[in-house]
Amino acid sequence: MKFTIFTILFTFFCFNITKARPVSYPGGLTLMLMNSGMKNSLHTHYSSTAKTSLGYKIEYWRGDEFTLNMIQMNNLIKRWNKPESQANFYLKSAIGAALSDKADFESKKNFAGFIGISTDWENQRYFIQYSNRYTKAFEIKDFYTQFIHLGIAPYIGEYGDIHTWFMIKIDHTPEFDRNIVITPHLRFFKNVHLVEVGADTKGKIMFNYVFRY
Amino acid sequence: MKKLILFVVVFCAIHRSSSAEDKSLTVYAYVNGLVCDFCARALEMTIGKKDAVKAINVNLKDKVITINFKDNQRLEDSVISQLINDAGYTVREITDEKK
Repeated sequence: MKFTIFTILFTFFCFNITKARPVSYPGGLTLMLMNSGMKNSLHTHYSSTAKTSLGYKIEYWRGDEFTLNMIQMNNLIKRWNKPESQANFYLKSAIGAALSDKADFESKKNFAGFIGISTDWENQRYFIQYSNRYTKAFEIKDFYTQFIHLGIAPYIGEYGDIHTWFMIKIDHTPEFDRNIVITPHLRFFKNVHLVEVGADTKGKIMFNYVFRY
Repeated sequence: MKKLILFVVVFCAIHRSSSAEDKSLTVYAYVNGLVCDFCARALEMTIGKKDAVKAINVNLKDKVITINFKDNQRLEDSVISQLINDAGYTVREITDEKK
């Protein structure tokens, strides 16, 4: 069973390689550091063309004390470019290994992977995003998670200005004890740097940083 | 003296002629999907790396990219469109004059 599921995830991952769509510009490097009450993660990826990104991701899930080390691929399946807005539909997938810190598992290691979608619409004033994923780490943890992310910009800046967004992120993870997490936060965006700072309703700090070169 | 005057006249004429031929061109590309600094950066990097391009400026408000070419060089409109498409965006219009 474990081998079958891993094979399905691996096949899906390979399928993505051949069906790549734009994600970043050709030659673009991206670094994403995400920290919240739920998890800490570092994801770095490279787009060899504007069709896809391939990268490495490490996540530490705080509640269940396990780490995922994965090769992740993001594919832009469809983009709608309009004069004043942009919308996207992404497919994301990853394969790798899970390692549990929990005493129950005694540093157990497993194959792991996830698949999911992400869709967003934005103009310079409003931002809305929905994303989900199903993560399979076998005996360590299998779970489904989704979130919605909303934003509004109080002013519209020019390229190179500091752009400010008032945002809220609502995470829903049915498998977790705390299955809904609401995090109001601020986003600051300038040139190649994006920073998000906030705290969820239980006071857990969110700090995200994205750098694109 | 006549020879000197003749030399100066010929030199000036040649210099003026060559200066008149040196033209640096500016092109304006109106782009769909240009909504954030990452989009601007993508277009800046994709188009700016071309040898013919002297400078590039992205205006988020008007959704227009201003491309300054080196003297006597330019990229065909079809090439500019392709570069913008490759970066993940679409071209609405390319003109030699800003609207």
